[in-house]
Amino acid sequence: MFFRLYKYSIFQSVRCKLVLFWNVIFPVVLGTLFQMTFGGYVEEQVIFRRIPVAYASEQEDGAFGQLLKGLEEDSELVKVQTAEYKKARQLLKEGNVEGVFCEEPDTGDVTLIVAEQGVNQTILNSILKQYQRAKATFSNIGRENPAGIQAAAVRLEEERRYLKAGSVTEASMDCLLDGFYSLIAMTCLMGATSGLSAATDFKADATSLAARRAVAGASRMSMLLPDLAAKITMQFLYAAFSICYLSFVLGVELGEHGGLMFLTALVGSALGIMIGFLVGVVGKYSYGVKEGLCIGFMLVSSFFSGLMFQSMARIVEMYAPALNQVNPATLIAKSLYSLNIYDNLGPYFHCMGNMVVLILVLGMASFLLVRRERYAAV
Amino acid sequence: MGTVIEIDNLVKRYKELIALDHLKLTVEEGEIFGLLGPNGSGKTTAINCILALLYFDKGSVKVFGEEIQPNSYEIKKKIGVVLQNVAVFEELTVQENIDYFCGLYIGDKKLRKQYVEEATVFSGLEDFRKFYPKKLSGGLLRRLNIACGIAHKPKLIIMDEPTVAVDPQSRNRILEGIQELNRKGATVIYTSHYMEEVEQICSRIAILDKGRCVAFGTSEELKGMIKTGEKIHLEAAGLLPFHLEEIKELRHVYKVDYREGMLEIRCSGGKHNLVHILDYFGKREIGFGRVYSELPTLNDVFLEITGKELRDSAE
Ligand SMILES: Nc1ncnc2c1ncn2[C@@H]1O[C@H](COP(=O)(O)OP(=O)(O)OP(=O)(O)O)[C@@H](O)[C@H]1O
Ligand SMILES: [Mg+2]
Repeated sequence: MFFRLYKYSIFQSVRCKLVLFWNVIFPVVLGTLFQMTFGGYVEEQVIFRRIPVAYASEQEDGAFGQLLKGLEEDSELVKVQTAEYKKARQLLKEGNVEGVFCEEPDTGDVTLIVAEQGVNQTILNSILKQYQRAKATFSNIGRENPAGIQAAAVRLEEERRYLKAGSVTEASMDCLLDGFYSLIAMTCLMGATSGLSAATDFKADATSLAARRAVAGASRMSMLLPDLAAKITMQFLYAAFSICYLSFVLGVELGEHGGLMFLTALVGSALGIMIGFLVGVVGKYSYGVKEGLCIGFMLVSSFFSGLMFQSMARIVEMYAPALNQVNPATLIAKSLYSLNIYDNLGPYFHCMGNMVVLILVLGMASFLLVRRERYAAV
Repeated sequence: MGTVIEIDNLVKRYKELIALDHLKLTVEEGEIFGLLGPNGSGKTTAINCILALLYFDKGSVKVFGEEIQPNSYEIKKKIGVVLQNVAVFEELTVQENIDYFCGLYIGDKKLRKQYVEEATVFSGLEDFRKFYPKKLSGGLLRRLNIACGIAHKPKLIIMDEPTVAVDPQSRNRILEGIQELNRKGATVIYTSHYMEEVEQICSRIAILDKGRCVAFGTSEELKGMIKTGEKIHLEAAGLLPFHLEEIKELRHVYKVDYREGMLEIRCSGGKHNLVHILDYFGKREIGFGRVYSELPTLNDVFLEITGKELRDSAE
């Protein structure tokens, strides 16, 4: 019986033109727009224009100051203006510089102050990160093995060269990629509306069709499971389609782990479906209200993962890191991102693990809600 | 012959509203049982209780001798359900819909194929196999709804107003179909507010009003319960009040209504009522036009028992 019901459920999904439209057209259009606007933006704004920054320090030749100078001369990446702290803040406020680096003369600690979030700020941030990493290495080696200082100095020099060469485009591309990952996440989460319709076909007090099924001579679970399986299958296909469209048609380099990306798409789709299903079985609101809830959730979730505003995930990471651990869209996007940038799969499986836990929690909650089999009214 | 359904003291409330008020009914094997009542009398609620879809406040419902529960799948497998609201998948064709529902009961593929085909023919949907429900007219949709309910050849068929919005020709075909299913051994519960239908096919009838069973029996028995044995209508102009008084004095006559030149006389049982009345008109030399006499209908039964018209509230 499972496969017959599964088959019919697939028919149902495939024949619903509206669902097809949203799931196929929407990612295509949005992805293309992304590529057209931001693809060009990244090259123009970042590669060909120096980022004006201010450097504030008591002493002229701080280690970081040296690095900045080097960057200015070698890579034409930044345009440095040295000023005292107050003046530097003033420059930032007036929009003359995009960021202010402050270096503590004694400890060598550097902080970055920015006025807004954007591609440029991300690049500045990544310069700072590189520096801090190099510095940590440097002092560690120095403490444990004074002879290693020489080697570390070489490494620092390498870092600088690396920054100069690759990191610029990479950092900016990362931002754009984040947008694409969020787009894939959104496609998965669009499954919420399908999950919702699985719920309305299931809850006897929601539709007459559900009531009809509830009085049939088959167990409710035997009807529900094929439905959910079919909806997850379809959503996975939609998500896989957007991945293929992005990489093969738009030529976006999403990463190398193709198989694992599809695994994310599958788990992400299941997550989307279960979110919709839970919304569907909670309370007695009309279908329209619940549909609105699903779409709203999808948009908010995608927003916080950086769909509209690419550095959003980083901002959330700074102010509410817990949110990033549970926000479905962020988890999906981040797992894809992790595949691309980390050498080991740890971070990837961390995200996937969180998703699986979420799915289980949603499933349990839904199950508790649909466990009763009689209704007060239908 | 056993009892198929036994409802005892069933009480169902929707918040304040009492939808079923100590309802008591039994349906015997092999009969077509009519549940007749105006809108809101509780027919659908009763059926949803029989199907274990609703919580109820008091009483018990036994189907095939067992208290039915939502997970009584063995009992439910023997029931065919045609709900009042059409319940089919919009995205599946006529044939797929029938197959879907039939498949919830029948596992064997070959048998199912045969059953689906038979149900398609039975409901006259042969020419619409590949149609989607949206493309079907209201009546055809109703027929699809029926086909989905009875394809698996259930022993007990529960139909909640299956003929609403069906044209008279198709309606007759459906009624005949139900009788045929019944001849082949199915017990049928049929709800309707069309008394003609109920009278035509049901062996026993329960009349529901405000959640109570107000009368119960065969249509003959029901008609025997009321005073009216015959209704005589007579077209006559210019009758005066004393004429009406005199007519009322005639044998068996117990109620006289005169409105817009039309005289309605209700007589209790007994013979020659019409002769007596025509005699009177002859003696008084009053001219009259059309005259006809009719036996009481279930509507009269309902009217007498509850004091309101079944038909008025039903349309
Ligand atoms: N879901 C519900 N919530 C609240 N009240 C309800 C609900 N369903 C039915 N009722 C009320 O219960 C009473 C019985 O309704 P029911 O649907 O059983 O009547 P019915 O005899 O089937 O009428 P109809 O001929 O219109 O189908 C009505 O007064 C109705 O308003
Ligand atoms: Mg009803």
